[in-house]
Amino acid sequence: MRRVLALIAAIALTGALVISAAAAPAVTPTRGGTLIVGSGVDAVTLDAPMITDSPSATVSEHMVESLYRLTPEGKIIPMLALGHTVSPDGRTWTVRLRTGVRFHDGTPFDAEAAKFNLDRMLDPATRAPFRFLISRVTSVTVVDSSTIRLVTDAPFAPLLAHFTHSSVGMQSPTAVRRLGVDYARQPVGTGAFKFKEWVRGDRVVMTRNDDFWGEKAFLDEVQFRVIPDDGARVAALEAGSIHVAVRVPPREIERLKGARDFTVSIDDSLRTIYVGFNVTRPPFNDVRLRRALNHAVNKRAIVNSALNGTARVSDAPIVPAVEGYSKIMTYEWDLERAEALLREAGYSRARPLRAVFHHPSGRYIRDAEIAASIQGLVRRAGIELELRTMEWGAYLALTNRPQPENDVQMYMLGWGTVTGDADYGLYALFHSSNWVPTGSNRSFYKNDRVDALLDRGRTTVDQAERNKIYAEAMRVIMDDAPWLFLHSESQVTGIRHTAQGVVVHPAERIELFKAWLRR
Amino acid sequence: MVWTQFRRNRAGLVGLVLLSAFLSAGLFAPVLAPYDPYEIELESGLKRPGPGHLLGQDELGRDMLSRVIYGARLSLVIGVIAVTIGVGIGVPVGAISGYFGGLPDLLVQRLIDVMLAFPGILLAIVLVAILGVGLVQVMVAVGIVSIPVYARLVRGQVLSLRGQEFVDAARAVGATSGRIILRHVLPNTLAVIIVQSTLQIASAILAAAALGFLGLGAQPPAAEWGSMLSNARQYIRLAPHSVMFPGLAIMLTVLGFNLLGDAIRDALDPRMRI
Repeated sequence: MRRVLALIAAIALTGALVISAAAAPAVTPTRGGTLIVGSGVDAVTLDAPMITDSPSATVSEHMVESLYRLTPEGKIIPMLALGHTVSPDGRTWTVRLRTGVRFHDGTPFDAEAAKFNLDRMLDPATRAPFRFLISRVTSVTVVDSSTIRLVTDAPFAPLLAHFTHSSVGMQSPTAVRRLGVDYARQPVGTGAFKFKEWVRGDRVVMTRNDDFWGEKAFLDEVQFRVIPDDGARVAALEAGSIHVAVRVPPREIERLKGARDFTVSIDDSLRTIYVGFNVTRPPFNDVRLRRALNHAVNKRAIVNSALNGTARVSDAPIVPAVEGYSKIMTYEWDLERAEALLREAGYSRARPLRAVFHHPSGRYIRDAEIAASIQGLVRRAGIELELRTMEWGAYLALTNRPQPENDVQMYMLGWGTVTGDADYGLYALFHSSNWVPTGSNRSFYKNDRVDALLDRGRTTVDQAERNKIYAEAMRVIMDDAPWLFLHSESQVTGIRHTAQGVVVHPAERIELFKAWLRR
Repeated sequence: MVWTQFRRNRAGLVGLVLLSAFLSAGLFAPVLAPYDPYEIELESGLKRPGPGHLLGQDELGRDMLSRVIYGARLSLVIGVIAVTIGVGIGVPVGAISGYFGGLPDLLVQRLIDVMLAFPGILLAIVLVAILGVGLVQVMVAVGIVSIPVYARLVRGQVLSLRGQEFVDAARAVGATSGRIILRHVLPNTLAVIIVQSTLQIASAILAAAALGFLGLGAQPPAAEWGSMLSNARQYIRLAPHSVMFPGLAIMLTVLGFNLLGDAIRDALDPRMRI
């Protein structure tokens, strides 16, 4: 136990040092103060199993903890679990839980509470969007007050990684039962911070949990404030009304370099940005057209302009930091090839391919600008796209409709493989069992070979073997081109020098567990 | 006579010059614009004004000058169509309401009171919310917003005209109400309608730009001044030119229409001069 704590502390300290290296020599942290993070969008819900987006998860993870945790360095360490053993057949998992932990409302965290949370996620009636994370679990039993046993229907390799996910967070059974639907607005977990208030569209406020089981936080209070406008968020950082600004427009980096009061840090992210096609409806049920668009877009130019070189052109549907990644291919920017494919499919300058392209604004780095770039780039190949900009919530609802009524032709989205495992990055997006609304496959992509490979990847334990399976699956996927493959983002975050120990996690989280304010 | 009056008004002449520039930009955009306003050049995004691109380039590397010129064309279309809708519906409604009076007048006027009670831009936003986002919808919305302005104006004119002797005379020789309104009453309100329309085009352009700025109007990549401003404002510190020129274009055009409108009013009716 002590060793684990030491490990956590060492990792946290390393992270903090890396972040603050440019700012100041390490000094003793001081307690107290309120740290304010300027975030781009509001949380959608704070009920852990219902969360599907990073902004919500960032807020939630300060209050609600999972059994395990993915460190910024990509290691899985125990949180509310102490450790686990897996039976030789790979189907029975015995998880030992941390003892003496209480939820913020005083309810003890024990095996019953853990079972309650896992059962709740597994219950189809809960409609947890990420149920697939643990869907292979067939039963959860309480062995003793601090041990649970899970049985899966087959060996399920990514289970440990999935236990780090915020959706599998441990929440107070008392509060969940008592508050019902209202729970989503006032979560109760075991984390270093306690919920205080949520003013919709404005801010979420949390205070320090003085009964925290681990090393207690330094800050008295933490606020996540919603500032949707990129320019306004940067201005607030410059004026000092916030300590941290997420998604600084990359083109501003050069100008902000001279700032005395804050630094702009560029950190890795597990997020891939793509444009999905609905492959079940014309025109994009024709693979030639999907490939034509892939060839018509100069991804390098997008990365160098709107993203100012802070992103990486995709060469696979997942990013290199994900377990299971391998370099597959990139559709080369080739207008002649694009036009040849269009001609083959019966289109020409006189009869151009026309499509409607839906995209959000303010959710990803310069998303609307990138959508407009794509529109301008494909125009040179004689493709006419009509852009539809939508508000984040409405946009998700529109693209989330089931296949028979989903007439979205092209949509821009990003996916953060926050568990660090390829299963999460591929299964949810390309397996035919995960068509929206019960999964995240918004392209309605279905390829039996890919399905079989992804199933095998889940149930294979040997990592080298899994890597081979995923490489094969990704080759088929990229050849089928259900997406226009774009790039993987970096996180561009502005942090004031007074805010120390702020960690930018690759899963696109701002972590303030060990943050403190310099006076 | 009117022209002599008008010529004396220097502000009016300035307005005329501004509007001529605006009109020629709008009418001859394809000839005047040095580049295709939609051709992107990502590598030179946000480039400052220089010899190749006199007003610089926007975030996608499109030529600002060409976009501002094409923006004039869009604004011109928006202004003219919105005002046509306002005149086309507002004038007949006002004339009938004022000429006949009675219960219909009362009902129409209360409806107009309700419409006027909302600030124009708010009403336009509500209408766009109902009609949907887009350029055509914006023209219709802004047009509808200007209906009560005309209806109220024309009704007032008709009320003062209908008791005049020439109207009585027309009625005495057996002219129908329709003929009296069309041939005798309306022509006498023409001057006010022209003055009002000049000013109304300015407000229509401004309202459309505001809606464009809010993302409710013209959709990308349309070269519309309001949406150009909205995109560029993200980079206001980095590339002030990308905000300045669409902003200037809106300002000068609206100023031009207002100066001209005032001058025409003064010329047509010297007594109203303040």
